Amino acid sequence: MKPITRQFRDFFVSLKLTVVLLGLSIILIFWATLAQVQLGVWGVQEKFFHAFFVLEKIPGTGFPVPVFPGGYFIGGLLLVNLIAAHLYRFKLEWRKTGIQLTHLGLILLLVGELLTGIFQRESQLRLDQGETKNYSESYRDTELALLDTTNPDYNEVVAIPEALLGDGEVIQYPKLPFQVRILDYYPNAMLQMRDRAPNAPAAVATMGIGPRVALIPLPLTYKQDERNAPAANVELIGTEGSLGKWLVSPLLGMPQTLTYQGHTWEITLRFKRYYRPFSITLLKFTHEKYAGTDIPKNFASHIRLKTDDKHEDREVLIYMNNPLRYAGLTFYQASFDNDDRTTILQVVRNPSWVLPYVSCILMALGLVIQFGIHLFGFIRKRSRSS
Amino acid sequence: MSPRPFAYAALPLLLLAGCKDREITAYRAPKDPPPVMPGMPPSSGNPEAGAPASSGQDMASTAVPTASGEELTWTAPAQWTVKPAGAMRKGSFAVKGDDGDADLSITAFPGSTGGLLANINRWRGQIGLPPLAENDLAANKVHLDVGELHLDVVDFAGTAGGKPTRILGAVAPVGDNTWFFKLMGPDALVSREKPAFMEFIHTLKPR
Repeated sequence: MKPITRQFRDFFVSLKLTVVLLGLSIILIFWATLAQVQLGVWGVQEKFFHAFFVLEKIPGTGFPVPVFPGGYFIGGLLLVNLIAAHLYRFKLEWRKTGIQLTHLGLILLLVGELLTGIFQRESQLRLDQGETKNYSESYRDTELALLDTTNPDYNEVVAIPEALLGDGEVIQYPKLPFQVRILDYYPNAMLQMRDRAPNAPAAVATMGIGPRVALIPLPLTYKQDERNAPAANVELIGTEGSLGKWLVSPLLGMPQTLTYQGHTWEITLRFKRYYRPFSITLLKFTHEKYAGTDIPKNFASHIRLKTDDKHEDREVLIYMNNPLRYAGLTFYQASFDNDDRTTILQVVRNPSWVLPYVSCILMALGLVIQFGIHLFGFIRKRSRSS
Repeated sequence: MSPRPFAYAALPLLLLAGCKDREITAYRAPKDPPPVMPGMPPSSGNPEAGAPASSGQDMASTAVPTASGEELTWTAPAQWTVKPAGAMRKGSFAVKGDDGDADLSITAFPGSTGGLLANINRWRGQIGLPPLAENDLAANKVHLDVGELHLDVVDFAGTAGGKPTRILGAVAPVGDNTWFFKLMGPDALVSREKPAFMEFIHTLKPR
């Protein structure tokens, strides 16, 4: 083996590397915990854990610079180190099965976390009593949705993710007969009727409810129970010129419509929707309290699940610690609103949800086997010597 | 076996996850049902069960239901073009003009919606006119009876967006609701259309 290859191998396989990485992860977690006060859970996840490096801006310039390895770097290197050490010291011996299983379980745990970080998607399903929905909505991501509502049976939707709104470019898409130009975009803004905010700057929008609404930009909120409500002024440009400018925001309760070339369109900035091939109706939400107190005992949503192809039509009770698992999704009872008339279910898509369970079982098994082997060996030695 | 291929294999997965956020998607979706609970501003759902937090933001409170109940019918003049009504309006017309169109909106809301004076002053505010006091109201409106309907008709001229703008409006209580008919547009155009507007008002009758 060439000396340079040996150096690489020795590096990745060494226990010193493991210790250094664990030390770095302690620092990272501690720093992230302190930062959580300002940034909140999801801000900290983005900045510290779902990143290769922790970026900090050089003061005065706004230019981001890596200052510390992030979650993916440390976790990734730990995974590589673990697999490398495992393979290097792998000896197919009966005596070592316990250790091999434990290590395999640990590797699987790290891999499971990586896959969860990449593939997991959480959304929420808010239902008023009697309401039926076949989509769930993202907690934080919004989309600029342009809906062709001409057909009475369905809408043709073109959804532009919020990430593209900040670019300030003109967006073209084959299904849209017009171009979409984002005039301005605010990641968080408050809206007020203009007659209650007489000193607000002039409206950019010319159509819909925009001219009657004043837009006040706000700083981003990282609080756990607040949502950022973005707002944007959007201009639609057809073949003969501008069709008008609209103010869009998830705070506007009313859809804004326009007609172009014989089709009716609707323009809205809404929380990103994930449509499903089934619908859920809230039949009743119950909120039980311990008798004589206000302390909650149980929250339960009695829902009806119906697939679009009429294959399934059943009633399900979702309550705390008893989610509905269906179609690769898990529906948890998360929250409620409106004086117990509205339920909020958390919808989680996590294809690798089984991995942590499997890895824990493997690790437990591995430890039991290892200690069992030592125990029996010890007992046999003792009985032999006595 | 070198461990490096594992690390290299993981990288594209991570890059792929990032790129998906910027993809425009197009799909077919069923129509949304009309709102079940009226006047409910969307509050932010919080992740933990417990007291739901209010969003603490002033909403452009347009999630107001239009009135249900007794409906009116009307006959519009030929030169008015029908526009799609939208969620808030009972009817919508455009009147074409040389320097801009006028917009006729027909809306209805439950209850008295703050009273005639408040709504008149809201319209006046839209064209930059000062609000009227209660005792000036009678002098600035014309009462009209069309069949069983009792209408108050107003005619105001002001400026909006730098251009002279006129509002011709009619307000009528119908059952438990109040109906509003508002023609707003360039001054010259709306003045010209006034006879047509009055004729339109006279065709109103319950369904």
